[in-house]
Amino acid sequence: MRYTTFNQKTIDTMIEPMFFGNSVNVARYDQQKHPIFEKLIEKQISFFWRPEEVDVSKDRVDFGKLSDAEKHIFISNLKYQTLLDSIQGRSPNIAFLPIISLPELETWVETWSFFETIHSRSYTHILRNLFSDPSEIFDDIVVNEEIKRRATDISKYYDDLIFATQLFQTRGEGTYEVEGENHVITMRELKKKLFLCMNSVNALEAIRFYVSFACTFAFAERELMEGNSKIIRLIARDENIHLTSTQHILNLWAKGKDDPEMAEIALECKDQAREIFLTAVHQEKEWAKYLFKDGSMLGLNEEILSSYVEFIANQRMAAIGLKPEFEIKSNPLPWMNNYLSSDNVQVAPQEVEVSSYLVSQINAEVSSDDFTDFDL
Amino acid sequence: MKNSLTITDTTRIKSISIGGKVIETHEGESVLETLERQNIEVNYNCREGFCGVCRTKLLSGSVDYRIEPLAFIDDDEILSCCTVPTSDISIKFEY
Repeated sequence: MRYTTFNQKTIDTMIEPMFFGNSVNVARYDQQKHPIFEKLIEKQISFFWRPEEVDVSKDRVDFGKLSDAEKHIFISNLKYQTLLDSIQGRSPNIAFLPIISLPELETWVETWSFFETIHSRSYTHILRNLFSDPSEIFDDIVVNEEIKRRATDISKYYDDLIFATQLFQTRGEGTYEVEGENHVITMRELKKKLFLCMNSVNALEAIRFYVSFACTFAFAERELMEGNSKIIRLIARDENIHLTSTQHILNLWAKGKDDPEMAEIALECKDQAREIFLTAVHQEKEWAKYLFKDGSMLGLNEEILSSYVEFIANQRMAAIGLKPEFEIKSNPLPWMNNYLSSDNVQVAPQEVEVSSYLVSQINAEVSSDDFTDFDL
Repeated sequence: MKNSLTITDTTRIKSISIGGKVIETHEGESVLETLERQNIEVNYNCREGFCGVCRTKLLSGSVDYRIEPLAFIDDDEILSCCTVPTSDISIKFEY
């Protein structure tokens, strides 16, 4: 099953599964098997933003006033988010595009990944403003043990799927020895790897950003690092859409609305899916512990942050048909909602430097009234 | 004229029952806004129908969507942030 960039067979995408059917040929959206992905594309594109639109220059002064413990919290979170978006800016493309069979889903994944690259660029924008040379911060991401541990866990499901897909697309089904290790490649195994990978991505979008978001917005509650907060708000809005897309994929499978074999696998691997989710929750609590190792910050400590993670975990587990794990019923950080609400993100163009105000614009609508005071 | 019927319908005061409480809607309010006015804690994030955090079980009654929901919702669920009751409704938070 070699991948082709333009499948010359006539295929009816209305009956193709989302993954592992025929590869896509025409990028057409006139007919869609799962129209939700086209709607998500439209919504995501309507949220387009550039990091440079947000003025972060005042943050430099604020940063100087933070305690060392707070500086550690702020910088560590940026490093972790940089890691997450480095992975998300490329992996959905590399892992999913070669096995996608629907044009609307293909374009959604490309749109999704593209927005993650905007997030990555915004971290450079933030750090360049804080340090004359931010390279030390970036260099630490690949050597910092706390970050590395999470990176391993996030990337392994992607890497597994990518490697198995490569074997399948070059050699087909079979058992292959590669570098002394045996790999059994069957369609069923591939689909299982895809299912686990999608669950891991879903947990990433659902949980992994939120400890960091909470710290950022806690600074903003104290009117500190507000440029950064404005950027993180835009990122959080995007991540909520990304999460919706993985929830849709998982639910389409589980409810038998796509590939019937994926419905079986969803049932068969339910415990593993749960485990993936709970591991992410556990790692985020560990991250909170690491953040506050030198002391907490005003309005936030390890305990509150951990219960917030449990609170959102319950909601996000329920969204993919997993039984909520934790006791907590009430939101321990109710002010977070103000920052995660889409209404509050939309600032008037004259208040922020929106790109469409930066470039010259032409009003193409001309009515006869425009010529009333015009004499020759 | 199904549309005009619906419009007349939504302007009438409806009731929302939740956890043994019955509350009255105000004109034009979303279910979420009605609950907030009564100081009932509701989960939400985006308030625009795409994150799904305000997903609520609809036990009885019917609603109209003000914006098309993008979040995943099951057949017996609604998004409280972008729905308006079109009859008396009964809802339940699941988590």
